[in-house]
Amino acid sequence: MIAEGAMLGPNQPVILHLLDIEPASEILKGVKMELMDGAFPLLKDVIATTDVIEACRGVDIAIMLGGFPRRKGDGKDLIFKNVGIYKAQASALDQYADPNCKVLVVANPANTNALILKEYAPSIPEENITSLTRLDHNRALSQISENLKVHVGDVRNAIIWGNHSSNLYPDANHATVDIGAGHKPVKELIADDQWLKTEFITNVEQRGQAIVNARRLSSAFSTASAACDHMRDWILGTPKGTWVSMGVYSDGSYGIQPGLIYSFPVTCKKGEWSIVQGLKIDEFSREKMDAVERELIEEKTMAYSCLH
Amino acid sequence: MGLCDGQIGYALVPMIARGIMLGTDQPVILHMLDIPPAAEALNGVKMELVDAAFPLLKGVVATTDAVEACTGVNVAVMVGGFPRKEGMERKDVMSKNVSIYKSQASALEKHAAANCKVLVVANPANTNALILKEFAPSIPEKNITCLTRLDHNRALGQISEKLNVQVSDVKNVIIWGNHSSTQYPDVTHATVTTPAGEKRVPELVNDDEWLKSGFISTVQQRGAAIIKARKLSSALSAASSACDHIRDWVCGTPEGTWVSMGVYSDGSYNVPAGLIYSFPVTCRNGEWTIVQGLSIDEFSRKKLDLTAEELTEEKALAYSCLT
Repeated sequence: MIAEGAMLGPNQPVILHLLDIEPASEILKGVKMELMDGAFPLLKDVIATTDVIEACRGVDIAIMLGGFPRRKGDGKDLIFKNVGIYKAQASALDQYADPNCKVLVVANPANTNALILKEYAPSIPEENITSLTRLDHNRALSQISENLKVHVGDVRNAIIWGNHSSNLYPDANHATVDIGAGHKPVKELIADDQWLKTEFITNVEQRGQAIVNARRLSSAFSTASAACDHMRDWILGTPKGTWVSMGVYSDGSYGIQPGLIYSFPVTCKKGEWSIVQGLKIDEFSREKMDAVERELIEEKTMAYSCLH
Repeated sequence: MGLCDGQIGYALVPMIARGIMLGTDQPVILHMLDIPPAAEALNGVKMELVDAAFPLLKGVVATTDAVEACTGVNVAVMVGGFPRKEGMERKDVMSKNVSIYKSQASALEKHAAANCKVLVVANPANTNALILKEFAPSIPEKNITCLTRLDHNRALGQISEKLNVQVSDVKNVIIWGNHSSTQYPDVTHATVTTPAGEKRVPELVNDDEWLKSGFISTVQQRGAAIIKARKLSSALSAASSACDHIRDWVCGTPEGTWVSMGVYSDGSYNVPAGLIYSFPVTCRNGEWTIVQGLSIDEFSRKKLDLTAEELTEEKALAYSCLT
């Protein structure tokens, strides 16, 4: 997708750095071969390596997909294993990446991995470290579009608050649909108000599992596509009147504790994101937003306890 | 989507939905077909397509019913087929694919849009396409093609690596014949765009030996090299080249550039008529035309004939499975 220009636009040549662990180095070589065989005009070079320094050297954008996957009965173990990984990655990025490198953490637990990365890459500006909730955001848009029988491209301004976990809060209170003669609030168009507080939320929260059940594999291209959307909007700017969801370093907006990586509604311009301010938060939403804040504080505590 | 591992289909659908195949102004409706055992997985792919919120994607039909899949389609990319398994004879593989493509042909013929363009990817691609053509007589023969653009792109890649130039500056290689190990990657007429103008590849490479041996076998065996490295066959590069094939066919090739496509032979270059054979083509207004008048040296002539022979054999084998 990156080589095709889906992430940075059809006029931006790219050099890809691919990093994997030693046991996967042959497979990684195979991926490089396929990239060469793709004859992509925008792809100027491919560096496929198991050396984290070589991988990080000079990069302007870092997408962190690697992490230790969840196994049954994990919890603290998952955090522990990933903390080690993200501490090491942070170090390499801190020393070798471009000073203004933009980072997107995808691998779960995404928000907390991003937080660890931030702690151990102090020279990377804190606003440059983000986590992916765009997949959930896109899933929320598509759930609304299916319910209202409209095209997903006409739905906008859903919000994903908080953590990319089963406690994420998909909020359609400010979402709208382009009905041709203007934009109407989703809340007005939805026949059943309760749906937005129940099924809509669980559908979005459990979509990942539903896909695993169907495919026997987790989502791949929809995740990749969301990662491209996240980066593209961050760098090239969000369309007028539209915001998106990104996990970003909290500054206390909406009463959320500063110092967490928390998903907010943001607009982007000139390569920078800004939290959309002043949105009304009802009681139901407040509870949900606080619950996921608590979860993130717990994860942060667990993560720090692994480090000391 | 097709049989075996569905990897190419999985790589292909987001590319189509993103506008890579037909351009960023062309909305699309995707019809995906697979066999009943894969119905759940196919539904999972549909869920992912919906989740990706592609603006150009106006509808998704995920089905195990060939009729529903073929109804109204303008472009058909056939990635499904029966792969060779250990211990299988060539005739067995051919037999299974022949019956698959016979029934696909039937459904396409009855239900696809009148001017449907068809690209066969699954191997044996050329012969599968030929079978399809035989059993879909109302589809214009020029609308039935097979994929050699992957090999074409691989050849471009090899030259660009050898000469240390950008792949987008290399053009006009040719893949002649069958998408198999007898394919002939030919750089006789290939060129590189340099600051000092267009230069001929054979002169720049200045290593005829390599061009007649190492280069050819690398391109021919690239598929196997990728399987060896990935433990899986090429997916993203196959999908990407399928997009290139259709896009250039529908939107036209750039000025001064040709590409390789497996097309219904009309006897050009003394290749037997009535085979699906890969030629150099230019495309305009939704139609391909074989580039005529290219000089064929003795070495190339032998190669062209060898791959034609193999295709003639495959055709005979395929027909013997039908009777």
